[in-house]
Amino acid sequence: MFAWLGRRIKSQNTGSVMLIAPLAAFELVFFVVPFLILVRMSLNESAQAGPYQSGFTLDAYRSVLDSTLYHDLVFFSFKLGVIATVVAVLLALFYAYAAYRATGVRKSLLLFSIILPLLTTLVVKTYAWRPLLAPNGVLNDLLMAVGLTSSPIQFAPGMFGTVVGQVYIVFPYAVLAIYSVLSTMDWDTVEAARDLGASRPRSFLEVVVPEALPGIAVATVVSFAWSVGAYAAPSQLGSGEQTTFAMEIESLMLTAFDWPTGAAFSLLMLASMLVVSLAVMRLLTGSVGGVQDV
Amino acid sequence: MSRVSRERVEDALFRAGYWLLFAVIMLPILVVFVTSFQQGEYLTFPPSEYSLRWYGEFFASEEWLSAVVDSAAIGIGASVLATVLGVTGSLAVQRSDSALSRVLPPVILLPLLLPPVVIGLTLLIYVNRIGFTSAYLNIVVAHTLWATPLVFFVMQSVFARFDWSLRDAGMDLGARPSRVFYHVVLPNVRSGVVISAVIAFIVSLQEFIMALFLKSYYVKTVPVLAWTSLESSLTPMVSVVSAFLVLTSIVGVLVAAAVMNMEWLAEQL
Repeated sequence: MFAWLGRRIKSQNTGSVMLIAPLAAFELVFFVVPFLILVRMSLNESAQAGPYQSGFTLDAYRSVLDSTLYHDLVFFSFKLGVIATVVAVLLALFYAYAAYRATGVRKSLLLFSIILPLLTTLVVKTYAWRPLLAPNGVLNDLLMAVGLTSSPIQFAPGMFGTVVGQVYIVFPYAVLAIYSVLSTMDWDTVEAARDLGASRPRSFLEVVVPEALPGIAVATVVSFAWSVGAYAAPSQLGSGEQTTFAMEIESLMLTAFDWPTGAAFSLLMLASMLVVSLAVMRLLTGSVGGVQDV
Repeated sequence: MSRVSRERVEDALFRAGYWLLFAVIMLPILVVFVTSFQQGEYLTFPPSEYSLRWYGEFFASEEWLSAVVDSAAIGIGASVLATVLGVTGSLAVQRSDSALSRVLPPVILLPLLLPPVVIGLTLLIYVNRIGFTSAYLNIVVAHTLWATPLVFFVMQSVFARFDWSLRDAGMDLGARPSRVFYHVVLPNVRSGVVISAVIAFIVSLQEFIMALFLKSYYVKTVPVLAWTSLESSLTPMVSVVSAFLVLTSIVGVLVAAAVMNMEWLAEQL
C-alpha cells in the first residue's frame, strides 16, 4: 500500500495535496472563517448588556462615521503612521546599506542589532524608553549638561516619545525588508557608476536606491500597517492626546464590550489602510505585482 | 576639497552614522539589564544603588512564576504546531503547482501584515461565537497564526537549496515517502527545521497584544502580566522580567546564528 502511495505521490500531486491540507485547513478555520465572522459581527446591534445583540444593521458603521471623536482617532493614527514610516524607512535604508557594505564581525553585529529587537516583546521595547525620555531622564540630563537647554523638555509622555517608540518597533522590519533586496545586488554596478565619475552620494541615490525599491516598498507598507495600528508605543509613551484607533478598539472590546462597533471600526480602518498601501506600492514599484516576498 | 579628502569625510560620517544608530538600537536593551539590578522602588536610569532585590522578589512571586509556566506551555504548543504546519505546507508548495499552492502563501502571510489588535479582536469574537473557552488553546492558535508564515518562508528557502534528485533516488529504490522524508530529506534540512522551531517559540514568547485579548483570569503570559503591571506602576520588576525575555531571544538568535550564520538568518526573517 505504501509503495503504491509512493508511486502516486511521484506521478501526481496527491501527496502535495495531503501535505498542504493541514495548513490550508488551519488557515481556513482560524483565519478566513474568523474574518467572515468579524464582518458579520460588524452588522449586529450594540447591546446594553453583553457584547452585542443579533441583528442586521449598519448602525455600527454609522456611529463610527458620524463620531468626531473617531475622526480624530483615525486622523491621529494615520498621522503617526506617516511620520513613523517616513522616519523608519529613511533610517532603515541607511542602516541596511551599511549592513550590506559591512563585512565580517561588523556585518554580524549590525545584523544582530536588527534581529534581536525584532524578537523582543513590544512591552520591553516601549517600556525601556520611558527612563530615557522622561523629563528627568537620560536624554534631558544630557541636553542640559551640554547646555543645549536649561529646563527639561517633555519628550515623553508625548508625541516625540510616541514617534521614537513606534520607529523603534518598525525599524527592524524595515531594515530586513530592504536588506533582503540589497543582499542580492551586485556591487559591481555601483563600482561601475563610481568609475564613470559619479560621487558616492550620487551613486547611492541613482544606483542603490532604484535597485532597493522593491524592498523599500515592502518596508513602507509593513511600517505603515504596523504604525497606523500602533498600540504599545502610544499607550506607554503618549500623553493621552496620542490615542490611536487600536487603543480605542482595545477599550471597545475589553472594557466597553461594544463588539459591533469595534468590528466595524477595525474593518473601516483595514479598508482605508489597504487603499493607502496599494497606492504606495503603485507609486514605488510601478505595479502591485513587483513584490515577491517579505 | 579634493576628491580623496572629501571621500574621507564621507566615510567618517557614514561610519559615525551607523554606529550611532547601532548604539541607539542597543540602548533600551542596556537599560533593561542595568535597571533590573536596581535597588530602589521606582525605575531610574542609571540607578543610584544596585542589588539583586527584584530578582529575589521575582522568584518569590507565584503570579510571575505561573506566568512563566503559561508562557512556556503556550510557546512550546505554538512552536510545535507552527513547525508542523509550516514545514509540511512549505514542502507541499515546493513540489506542486496546484492552484491551492499559489493561493496559500499570500493567505498565510496576511496575519503578519494586519495590526495585531485587529487579529486579537477577530479571534476574540470567533472563539466566543464557537464557544472555544480554553485560553491556552486560543493563544496557541493566535501565535501559530503569526509564527507559521515565518516557518513557512524559512523552509521555502531551505527546501529550495535541497537537491530533490536525492529524494527521487530514494523513491526509485522503493522506500515509502515517509521513510524517504525521514532518512533523506529531513537530515538535509534539519538545521532549518530547528531554527524555524526556535523562531516560532521566541515569537510566541514575546507576543502580547493577541495574548492580551485572549487571556483569562487564570492564564496570562509573561508579557501580558508585564503590561498589566506597568499600568499600575513603573517598578524594576518589569526590568527583571524583560531581562529574561531579552536573554531568551539572545540565546535563540545565537543558536540560530551558530547553526547557519547571521547573514542567512537576516535574509530569512
